[in-house]
Amino acid sequence: MEFGTLSIQQLLSGYQKKDFKPSEVAASFLKNISDKNEKLNAFLQVRPDETLSQARALDEKMSQVEKLPLFGIPIAIKDNFLVRGWQATAGSKVLSGYLSPYTATSVERLQSMGAVIVGKVNCDEFAMGSSNENSAFGPVRNPWALDRVPGGSSGGSSAAVAAGLATVSLGTDTGGSIRQPASLCGLVGLKPSYGRVSRYGIVSYASSLDQVGPFSRTVWDSARVLEVMAGHDGMDATSAKRAVPRFTEELKAPSKKSFTLGVSRSWLEGVDSDVAKAFDVAIEFFKKMGGKVVEIDLPHTQYALSTYYLIAPSEASSNLARYDGVHYGYRTQSAKTSEELYSKSRGEGIGREVKLRIMLGTYALSAGYYDAFYLKANQVRRKIQEDFEKAFTQCDFVVSPTSPSTAFKLGEKTDDPLKMYLSDIFTLPVNLAGLPGLSVPCGLDSNNLPIGFQMIGKPFGESELFSAAHQYEQIRGEFPVADMAKGRG
Amino acid sequence: MLSREEVLKIAKLARLTLTEDEIGFYQKQLTRVLDHIQDLNQVPTEKEAFVQHVPHDAEPFREDVAVPFTNHDGLMKNAPAVENNCFLLPAIMEQN
Repeated sequence: MEFGTLSIQQLLSGYQKKDFKPSEVAASFLKNISDKNEKLNAFLQVRPDETLSQARALDEKMSQVEKLPLFGIPIAIKDNFLVRGWQATAGSKVLSGYLSPYTATSVERLQSMGAVIVGKVNCDEFAMGSSNENSAFGPVRNPWALDRVPGGSSGGSSAAVAAGLATVSLGTDTGGSIRQPASLCGLVGLKPSYGRVSRYGIVSYASSLDQVGPFSRTVWDSARVLEVMAGHDGMDATSAKRAVPRFTEELKAPSKKSFTLGVSRSWLEGVDSDVAKAFDVAIEFFKKMGGKVVEIDLPHTQYALSTYYLIAPSEASSNLARYDGVHYGYRTQSAKTSEELYSKSRGEGIGREVKLRIMLGTYALSAGYYDAFYLKANQVRRKIQEDFEKAFTQCDFVVSPTSPSTAFKLGEKTDDPLKMYLSDIFTLPVNLAGLPGLSVPCGLDSNNLPIGFQMIGKPFGESELFSAAHQYEQIRGEFPVADMAKGRG
Repeated sequence: MLSREEVLKIAKLARLTLTEDEIGFYQKQLTRVLDHIQDLNQVPTEKEAFVQHVPHDAEPFREDVAVPFTNHDGLMKNAPAVENNCFLLPAIMEQN
C-alpha cells in the first residue's frame, strides 16, 4: 500500500481500523526516501534503524491510537532543530557533523505523542534564503518541477512532504521560510503567532522573528501538529503563557461561517498574472461562503523589506557570534592565535549569504549607525504593527498571495540579493508584526505549478485562521499532488 | 559604494576573514542592500515608538532554579579540540 499522499487524519483512521501498523508505514516512507531523495536532495540524514525501532515500539501499542494524537505519523524535521542523537547542521558547513546533545521542546512534544521522525531535512544555511540554494549541502529541488526551487529557507521540509516522503514536517519561519516554500510546493504552511511555540532547541537566526511551524497537506493536519507542540515552555522566555485551544475539535463545529477579508490592492501590485488570477478566485470562494471583502490600507508594508533586512541581520550578527571554532563546529587548521582562530574559522566555515547578513547586522549595530539603522527600523516595525492593528478593526483576516510568483528556476535569482529578498514581500510584514500567517494552496499556474493564498490573523488568532481555511478547503476541493508523490521511484 | 577599507573594518568587527575576491563582492552587495534600506528615512517616526514584539503574557522572569544538564559528554563530543575535559585553544601568551 502507498502511504505517501495520505494525511494525518487518513493514517490515524487506518491505524484505528488496524489496516496497517506504524512499522509498515515507516518502512514504506524509508524506502521512498531512499528511492527518490537522490533527485531532490531534501534529506540530509536518515537513521532507518532508529526510525523503525520507534515505529515498532508503537506497533505494540495499537490500542493507544486514540490517546496519542500523532500515533505513528512520519515527520521530517528541518536540520536547524536539535533532536538528541541526530545531527543539526542548519545547512551550514560550520555545523557539519554536529550531534545534538538535547531535543527541541517542539520536537519532544511531537515525539511524546507518537510522531516518528523519518529524517532531518535540508535548508538554507542558518535559515537565510528563499530558495534553498544557500545550503552548504547543495540545493533542494521542487517535486513539481525538478529544475525549479522548492522555496526557502525550509525547502527540504516542503519538498519532503510534497514528494510524499513525510506526512508532515517542521520548519522555522523568520520572514516567510515556512509559508513561501509551502506555497511553492502546494502545501499548507503555518507560521504561528510569535510566542505560540517554544523556540528552545532551534538554531537561532533572528530571535524576535523566528517561529516554529508545520507543513502539511491539509489544514486539519496543521491544526493537529500545532495543538500538540504549542504552549508555554519555561525554556523559552518569549513563549506565551496562555492556553492552547484544541484546534481540531474546534474544526468539527465552526462557530463562524462568513468572514471579512481585508485586501490592500496597492500592496499587491506587481504579482504575476497567474498568481493574481488564482488569488481572485480564492476570494470568490470566500464570498460564496457568505464572506465579504473590504479594502484596507497598509501604508508601511512597503518598508517591510528594509525593516526586515536591518532587524534580522542585526539579531543574526549577535546570534551567530557563537560560531567561533571553540566549543563546537568548524575550526580552521591554520590559526596561530585565538584571534585568528575565530576569524579564520568563521571566514572559512560560513557561506556567502550568511556572511553578507552578518556584516549588514554588524554595520547596522556599529558605533554611530545604531540610531540611523537599528533604532529607525524598530520604529518602522512598530508602524507596520499598527497598520495591521488598524486593519483588524475592519476585517477578520488580511489576505494576499503568499508569494508574488510560483516556483522559479534554480539560479534565476542568485546574483542579486534584492531580487531574492523580494520573494518574501508578502510574508515579511507578518513576522515583523508577530502575527499568525497561514498559506493554503489555491491554484496552479500555466506551468502546472502551485500557488498559495496567505491569510494573516490577529495575534493568537490561529483558531479563526484554521476554521476559515478549513471551510475554504472544503469548497475548493482536494488539491492535486505532485506526480512524483504518486508512485514509487 | 562602500570602500574596501569600510568592508574590511566591518569584517574585522564581525570576526570574518575575507578573501580578496570576497572583499570586492561584499563591497557591491553591501552597497546594494544599504542603498535600498535608505527608503526608511522617508518614514516619519517618533522617538518613543519602539516595537513590542514579546507577547504580553510571556513570562520573562522565573524562579532561579538550577536544572542539571546530564549530557555533558554529548556537549564535549562536539568540541573541535579537547584536553583534560577542557576546550583547547592556541596559546595566547608567547612562550619563552
